[in-house]
Amino acid sequence: MALLEIRNLNFTYSGKEEPALKDISLSVESGDFVLLCGESGCGKTTLLKLLKPELRPAGRCEGEILFLDTPTDKLDARTSVTEIGYVMQNPENQTVTDKVWHELAFGLESLGESTPVIRRKVAEICGFFGIGDWYHKKTSELSGGQKQLLALASVMVMNPRVLILDEPTAQLDPIAAASFLASLRKINEELGITVIIAEHRLEEVFPMANRVLLMDRAKVCLYDTPRRVGALLSGGTVPHKLAVGMPAAVRLFAALGESGESPLTVREGKQYIATHFYDTEKRCELPEKPAEEREVAIGIAGGYFRYERETPDVLSGLDLEIYKNEILCILGANGAGKTTLLRVLSGVRRLYKGKYRLWGKKIKEYNTNTLYRGNIACLPQNPQNLFVKNTVYDDLLEVTKLFGIPKGEREEKIGRLADRLGITPLFGAHPYDLSGGEQQKAALLKLLLMDPKILLLDEPTKGLDPASKVTFAAILADLKKEGKTIVLVTHDVEFAAEYADRCAMFFDGQIVSVADRVDFFSENRYYTTAAARMTRPMFENAVTVEMAVKLCLENGRRP
Amino acid sequence: MRYFDRLHPISAFCYFLMMLLVAMLTMHPVIVTVCYLSSVTFLGMLIGGRKLLSSLAYSVPLVLMLAVTNPMFVHRGETILFFLNDNPVTREAIVYGVFASMMLMSVFYLCRCYSEIMTADKFIYLFGRAIPKLSLVLSMILAFLPKMKRKFREIDEAQRALGIYATESYVDRIRSRMRVLSILLTNSFETSVETADSMRARGYGLRGRTSYAIYRFTPSDAMYLLFTLAAGGALFALILSGGADFSYYPALTPLTWSPRDAALTLLLVTLAGSSVFMEVKETVLWHYLRSGI
Repeated sequence: MALLEIRNLNFTYSGKEEPALKDISLSVESGDFVLLCGESGCGKTTLLKLLKPELRPAGRCEGEILFLDTPTDKLDARTSVTEIGYVMQNPENQTVTDKVWHELAFGLESLGESTPVIRRKVAEICGFFGIGDWYHKKTSELSGGQKQLLALASVMVMNPRVLILDEPTAQLDPIAAASFLASLRKINEELGITVIIAEHRLEEVFPMANRVLLMDRAKVCLYDTPRRVGALLSGGTVPHKLAVGMPAAVRLFAALGESGESPLTVREGKQYIATHFYDTEKRCELPEKPAEEREVAIGIAGGYFRYERETPDVLSGLDLEIYKNEILCILGANGAGKTTLLRVLSGVRRLYKGKYRLWGKKIKEYNTNTLYRGNIACLPQNPQNLFVKNTVYDDLLEVTKLFGIPKGEREEKIGRLADRLGITPLFGAHPYDLSGGEQQKAALLKLLLMDPKILLLDEPTKGLDPASKVTFAAILADLKKEGKTIVLVTHDVEFAAEYADRCAMFFDGQIVSVADRVDFFSENRYYTTAAARMTRPMFENAVTVEMAVKLCLENGRRP
Repeated sequence: MRYFDRLHPISAFCYFLMMLLVAMLTMHPVIVTVCYLSSVTFLGMLIGGRKLLSSLAYSVPLVLMLAVTNPMFVHRGETILFFLNDNPVTREAIVYGVFASMMLMSVFYLCRCYSEIMTADKFIYLFGRAIPKLSLVLSMILAFLPKMKRKFREIDEAQRALGIYATESYVDRIRSRMRVLSILLTNSFETSVETADSMRARGYGLRGRTSYAIYRFTPSDAMYLLFTLAAGGALFALILSGGADFSYYPALTPLTWSPRDAALTLLLVTLAGSSVFMEVKETVLWHYLRSGI
């Protein structure tokens, strides 16, 4: 008897024509770890919500969802609350109460458990997740990673049989995401609890899964073990846009056109390359870059910054030169002060010591008009913070008025840029109804209306699915061609290695290293891409999967 | 760890209630003095000497200032000390000024102690029992406010970096605030949908919801509660039966030392001093136990 059985499921949201799910049939066994991936908007969330009766969206549903042979809509309310746990994407929004202990007890309170029972269960869960240290804290004082772990713990305390997670690590930094996933693995392996998780970042979670469910346009496109996904990718049964997000080892395997069981982790990928390919040719040939004198867009020398007089320096002795017409990625750990750096670059905050020159002129010589109109624009981490109106178009129109664009030019300008970014079809939608990638584009369009020469982007790839990242990168490349200078602050090593011109490492208030992307990631040993870690020491500068594939093919296969 | 942190909220609340009532019921100089001294010492035990000093640095001058200003405006009382601008300055008015301001200060310090000890969750625990829904709502509001505050800052910064309304003019500032608030509002509606989902997913709305609290009512909590109730009750009986009557005008009532006065003072000192005593005991005990390790 399968734990969860879905039979010919079709679902259409009320008021929509196009079905959100088409003919889904699958079964999940007890103890499975199912990884659900696909583009945003492909129906992942709809499917997951349908599995949890309390969250079932309104619409027309055909087919059956059986939980232990009982249709989920006929499940007893208490059973469905306790047996099916659900964790959402945003750690902030799913915390309900003000104290950690109260949050943990919330579900048990709803079930009407007595105080001694709650006390015991909460204690147990705190031990399991290591929450004891912050048991008495306020939830508002927790970090994003802690909040998400709390959300997981407060679902686990009800002792579910199946745990459903909808992109739980999308809002977390890589370190917090890894520790969250480690907890999930513990739940699955040590307690044997079934896990169904939708994710975009697959590098870590892929090897944990024993089933991968790929969805494309409301349909199941593949449901198989992770080891066989690689071969299926190379077979061409999977659309390319889904392949880009796969772990490096799987992508390498697929790109080499192999069949059989694919390696999943960096370690396996390394062994795979070492045993199957020669490594005589160690370096990938790169086009020589002509040494040229480049115009400096932003130059900071000896910059110091702190928020309050008593607090420590966030920037201390910062030296940074950003050239005109380049894509520069600034990488660094969480809480290192990257966002602060961006605030200083955008002129919202000023250095207390040091020189900041923009186009050779001191930042003080600019006023609001000359700085933000046609010069610098900043995309905040959460693009939602920019939207004011109820439709995308009204929102854009409103901002043209504020920017002082003449009346006759407004519509034409919006239209032209929207066509370029491909968001014209979204004009009538509410900004909050767009997917993460679409919101990103709408926000970017808003900035482009000002014709900035320099674009500052704060974590633009956070929460984006791999396909949207590719589109976003294409937009950036396009803007660069136009002569714009683009600065990204990011955790996303893979994105930086793929699309940046130069990368810089920010640590302890300074830029500690800055180099061309290939040099940067091939010289780094720990803070580098999966491809670079996987191909070392056989190859020296393969920082992307494409480069690794090229080198493998050049070297040839061992007999 | 402070004793009052470990004390069950109901016992702690009862202590504060009794003390506040006593401090506000009467202006008898002995009672006022005892209340003032005990509340200042108690606060000192709770927040430490340094913070207490910085608080006294402005409260003591305030007491003195009131003591000086009262006789300037009030000319009642029979013992005239001297004349100021043809107005009599009386001893009674000065004494009244001193004790009135001390009473004010002891209430103030008791309230500071109260807010140190009775955090929002303890308050919710005490008063949420009667209305569980309300206590949950309070807890949710307390969780929601810091979120809103952070969100407001985030939006404000994002809008500022757009360079709109960045001028210092008054109109622009109001307009930019309105803009940020409108975004914040849309955003909170959006997020509260998710919060509601999270609550439903964890069974909110099922019948028979209980309310969990981390506090345990121990025998020592019960003892302290009984003690405060008994001491407080006896005190009120004495005060209401006229044991603490004292008049400042036209002449000060002479202080006597009848058995009733003695009982009243003794009771008050034990009740008011119990908090300080417990804190001192806790510290001493801790040092003693630590030395035993």
